[in-house]
Formats: sequence, C-alpha cells, structure tokens
Amino acid sequence: MIYISIIIGCILGAIIGMNTPVISYTYSSYLAIAIIAALDTVFGGITSVIKKNFDLKIFLSGFFGNAILSIALTYLGERLNVDIYLAAVVVFVGRMFTNLAIIRRYYVDKWTNKFAELSSKNKK
Amino acid sequence: MQEKKIAALLGIMCFMLTVGICVQMRTVTSTASRMGRTYAENELRDSVLKWKEKYDLAYDNLETKEAKLDKLRETASTSSEASENVKAGLEQNNMALGFTEVIGSGITITLKDAEVATNKLDLSSSLVHYSDLIEVINALKNAGAEAVSVNGERIVNVTAITCAGNIIKINNEKVGVPFVINAIGSSEKLYGALTMHGGYIDKLKEDGVTVEIEKKDTITIPKYNGVYKFEYAKVVE
Repeated sequence: MIYISIIIGCILGAIIGMNTPVISYTYSSYLAIAIIAALDTVFGGITSVIKKNFDLKIFLSGFFGNAILSIALTYLGERLNVDIYLAAVVVFVGRMFTNLAIIRRYYVDKWTNKFAELSSKNKK
Repeated sequence: MQEKKIAALLGIMCFMLTVGICVQMRTVTSTASRMGRTYAENELRDSVLKWKEKYDLAYDNLETKEAKLDKLRETASTSSEASENVKAGLEQNNMALGFTEVIGSGITITLKDAEVATNKLDLSSSLVHYSDLIEVINALKNAGAEAVSVNGERIVNVTAITCAGNIIKINNEKVGVPFVINAIGSSEKLYGALTMHGGYIDKLKEDGVTVEIEKKDTITIPKYNGVYKFEYAKVVE
C-alpha cells in the first residue's frame, strides 16, 4: 500500500517535473540541498512506518523544517564563504544510509523467515 | 485508515521530491555549458595573472640589470678626462633615443571625442583619429618639442601610430580616448604653434573634438620601453 503510493507519487512527480520551467542557476544549489533533506525525511518516514512509530507531526515538521534549515545554512555558508552545505549533505546522506540499513534488515529478515517457513512446509 | 493516511502522505512527499529532482536535473543540464565556460574563463584569468607576474618579474630584472650597466659605465668612464666626454655623449644619445626618463617645461594637450557630434553628416570627423595624433605630434616636433609622449607612450623615431579599430596602437601598445599628449620644449613656442589660427587644433575644434591645452612648468615623460633592432642596416666602413 505504502510502496504503491510512493511509486505513483514518483511517476506523477517525474511527469510534472519534466514539464515545469527551469529555475535560475543561482537558486539550484538551494534546491539541491532541499532535495537531499527531503529525501532523508522520506527514508526516515519509511523506517518509522516499519518500526510502527510513525508520527505525522514529526514527519511533516521534519520534511519542511529540514529543507528550510538546510537552505538557510547553505545561504549562510555562501555569505561566509564556507561550504556549510557539505556538512548538511554529510549528515543527511549518513542518516539516509542508516535508515536504508534498517529497511534492508527488516525485509531481509522477513524474507528469510518466509523462505524458512516455506521450506519447512515442503519437508512436511 | 491510519495506513491509508500515511500512504497518501508519503505519496505526496515523493511527488514533491521527484518534481524537485527533475527540475534540478534539468537546470543542471541546461547550465552545464555555462559552468564549463566559467571554468575555462577562470583558467584563462589564472594564466593571465601568471603571465603578468612573469612580465613584472622580467621587467624588475631588466631594471636592476640596467642600473648595474649604468654603474659599470660610470666606473668605466670616471677614470679619465676622455672617457668623461664619452659618458656625456652616451647620456646625450640615450636621451635622444628615448632611453631615459626626461623632465622639463612644456605643454599638455588632451584630445577627447566630441560629446555631441556637430557635423551630423560625417560623424567620424567628431572622433579623434590616429591621423589627428600624427598631425598634432608633427606640429609639436616642428615647434621644437624635445620629447613627446601620448598616454605614457614615448614617441621615438621608430614609433608607429596606427589605427586598430576603435583604439589606436602606439609602439604596439593600445591607447584610447582621452589622449593626453605631453611635450617638453619651450611652452610658449609650443603653445603658440598649436593655437595658431588655421592650425590643426583649430580644425579639430571645428569638428567638435574637445581640445584642452595647458602650459606646465614640469612635465615628466617616461622612457621608451622597446628595443632598437638593426637587422639590415649596417655601419658603412
């Protein structure tokens, strides 16, 4: 159910995204960091669904809060001539890997159990 | 119900995310060439700076060598009365060739393109051309100018003044408006010769060119930076 809606969302997004106007190059670095932040939140959301502790408020605030904070940090970094966005990228991508690992473990366990059940049934 | 809500929310999030990713990807692909250009530009700027540094270094080197040479000449020529004359002659020759900075009284002429073209039929006449510079310099030399420079370029006997589109080349260096012509000589004579009725300056003023002439007590004229080459000319034995 969740994955179907994710796939539908992705396909629709790709179709719409291909037809929207291009933004100016100056702002593309901000959009890029916002994308990374949002991607991190989506993986976090999937993980929390798996862990069954999904909270709508936390998810929504994380989605927008992270994106806005990372954009603000990128802007500040540009003013100060420090590549702060690199720190944001490191944190977000690191979290993404952690979340992906949790999701992977969950499904690997699930499938192993299923196969074990199937093979025990066949033996009987 | 809860499951459905979560699914819908995640779907919307993914929708927004993919829209963002697609826009970003298209932005980056459409501006990739521009990024390349700025990179190339930076490289070029870098190499320009490096060459300039090298040039400055070489110029410094030249100056120290010249100072050394002068010192050597001095020590060589102080030894005797005869060599004293040689030294004086050498100085004289160097001045004539434009190899020394010179100072003295003279006049400064500033030529600028007309702000409003007086002759609408021939707009070109309201601009300062290389031929105008040549005429003015010729008039100055005729009036006894001993050293002349245009925008810091010393006019020597091998100087060529040529037209190069919207700028003028003197000694192969680009010079542009406004043209500041410095001349050392009797300021009265030079001034009189230039402002003579029916003279070339009169003609320039009629065409609308802005001309400013100023008498000065001290004018410094830089030395000629080039070299004299004699490949074909030989001294007759």
